[in-house]
Amino acid sequence: MSAARPVDIEVFSESIKRYFDVTTRKKASVRSAYLLDSAEPVVRCDYNGLINLEGGFRGSVCFSADRGLLTHVLLTIGESDYSDESHRDIVGEIANTLSGRARRHFGEALDISPPQSFAGRSQAVQPRASGRPVAIPIDWNGYEAWLVVHMEPRA
Amino acid sequence: MHTLMIVDDSLIIRNRILRIAKDPRMPAVEVVGTARDGEEALAIAGRHRPDLVTMDLTMPNMDGAACIEALAAMLPRARILVVSALSDKATALKAMKKGAHGFINKPFGDAALVEAFGELVR
Repeated sequence: MSAARPVDIEVFSESIKRYFDVTTRKKASVRSAYLLDSAEPVVRCDYNGLINLEGGFRGSVCFSADRGLLTHVLLTIGESDYSDESHRDIVGEIANTLSGRARRHFGEALDISPPQSFAGRSQAVQPRASGRPVAIPIDWNGYEAWLVVHMEPRA
Repeated sequence: MHTLMIVDDSLIIRNRILRIAKDPRMPAVEVVGTARDGEEALAIAGRHRPDLVTMDLTMPNMDGAACIEALAAMLPRARILVVSALSDKATALKAMKKGAHGFINKPFGDAALVEAFGELVR
């Protein structure tokens, strides 16, 4: 799977660090990426933001986090609405921001969809690329989250 | 006093820009509408004719690129600031060609957005 190339994973890792640094002024650390055992491109947390990749690539990017991390991000940016809807919105917005920034590396051939957000751990996500997804673990402010990248160039 | 419309599919981002619009460092603006996609934006623009617009690009129904083109035809004097996660130069150049006047990448800090508004109205 092409996205397992270290240079590609590094792009997403840098996007993660920049997001938390700029948005919250608290640095995130990114641990070593690893291949998921399952072909399903998601690490199940309370909330998941999923971006489908199109154009010159196929696959998906999914940001998964528990409610506590997302509540803390909402608080940090001055949001006062801590409803389920706000948590779904912010998890999708983070997935969108991390994916969009990757276009600096992959170019405009990387088309990204608007985010789909879902809560809970029961919804099946169909793989949109072959091979195994790569999970990037994130530590921020005492919380854990994951970015799962599953992508390949379209032949 | 400028009139501002905020276009973004994220409620959190719309709220954030609303809050920043009240920042004392900002040019004087009155927010006349917020929209979740390009179709809503065109409807609001027809009613309120804002002279400033912040525009996301990746949105359902009508995306930002199509909306910029339509807004530029509808409100040729409106100044449009793209606020997008799409961070490659080609995307920014295409948005400018369609009628945008500025571009700021997500994630953005409050000060960066205030500065971008300042450039937009200069």
